[in-house]
Amino acid sequence: MSDPKAFDKILTEIIRQDKGIKKVILVDKTGLTIANVSKLSYYPVDVDSIGAIASAVFCASEEQGKNLQIGELEIVTSEFSEGKIFASACGKGVLCVVSEAEVNIGLIRLVMKKQGVQLADELDKFLAVEPLSPKDSELDEEDLKSALAELERV
Amino acid sequence: MLTIRKDDKGRIHLKLVFYGPSLGGKTTALRWLYGKVEGLQKGEFTAIEDETNRTLFFDYVPMSAGGRVLFDVFTVAGQKRHRHQRKVVLQGTDGILFVADSSPDQRDENTESFEELKLFLGDALGREIPIVVMLNKRDLPNRMSRDEMLDLLGLGGNVPIYETIAVQGVGVKRAFQAIAREVILKRMYS
Repeated sequence: MSDPKAFDKILTEIIRQDKGIKKVILVDKTGLTIANVSKLSYYPVDVDSIGAIASAVFCASEEQGKNLQIGELEIVTSEFSEGKIFASACGKGVLCVVSEAEVNIGLIRLVMKKQGVQLADELDKFLAVEPLSPKDSELDEEDLKSALAELERV
Repeated sequence: MLTIRKDDKGRIHLKLVFYGPSLGGKTTALRWLYGKVEGLQKGEFTAIEDETNRTLFFDYVPMSAGGRVLFDVFTVAGQKRHRHQRKVVLQGTDGILFVADSSPDQRDENTESFEELKLFLGDALGREIPIVVMLNKRDLPNRMSRDEMLDLLGLGGNVPIYETIAVQGVGVKRAFQAIAREVILKRMYS
């Protein structure tokens, strides 16, 4: 499994490319938000919810393309009166960029494409099914046992 | 080997999906859990629905019983035309809560929905992906009998079954605890 900080580094690199980019989120195709970065001035949002919707919308569009036999989905762009949302494939995940309305679309597409390759590699490592070290395995088991105990007390 | 999904903070995420026919009570059950069960920590309730509050894509709430394990709980849109959306929501699911409708006129809808679920998840259903069944709307005067519903769904004795009234919350918490427990145990011992 790769270092999760690698995601922050790449997402930060993306957010710095254009001052109009407000938020960058990396989700997997099950709706799980893996990492996200924001501009400091950006208003607080429920990132888990945004990630779940971004992943679902992208996957639904992929399914639509498959049904219509029009090839692989590259990018989904949603244009709002005060902002834009871009979502593109990056291997096993979806890269989502939230921006202001006036933004350099060509640049954003280029950056997403370029960094998407790097993110795909990191995601492959992050999501790889590898035998856990005994220490990691024990930690996971402790977390699961604790959740089980808490669940009974609900 | 079953994978354990984690976020960048190392927290374990388990995905649970309420599945079943249209208007069977999936969203009602999730809203009851969200609004009434105090022991669960919950994030925001996200609903993608139409103007009549019928689910168009999914509802979603992250929940936790505390600690570093989170349940990402989804419902699906039950109407037949939303088949592809359901397939999308099912991606990566760790456990299923199937909400069957006890109303006799929903007999075919229950069967079709369960068959569709089996088609989407294949052999993994009940093996890698645990399932708990809620027989909902047990307050209906003309409800189907429990045995009739189990026969209808082709369920034997190895699937946990809960009789529920989602609008009142009857049985809902126990059914949720059951699927959450099954999913955790599956992760611990597989």
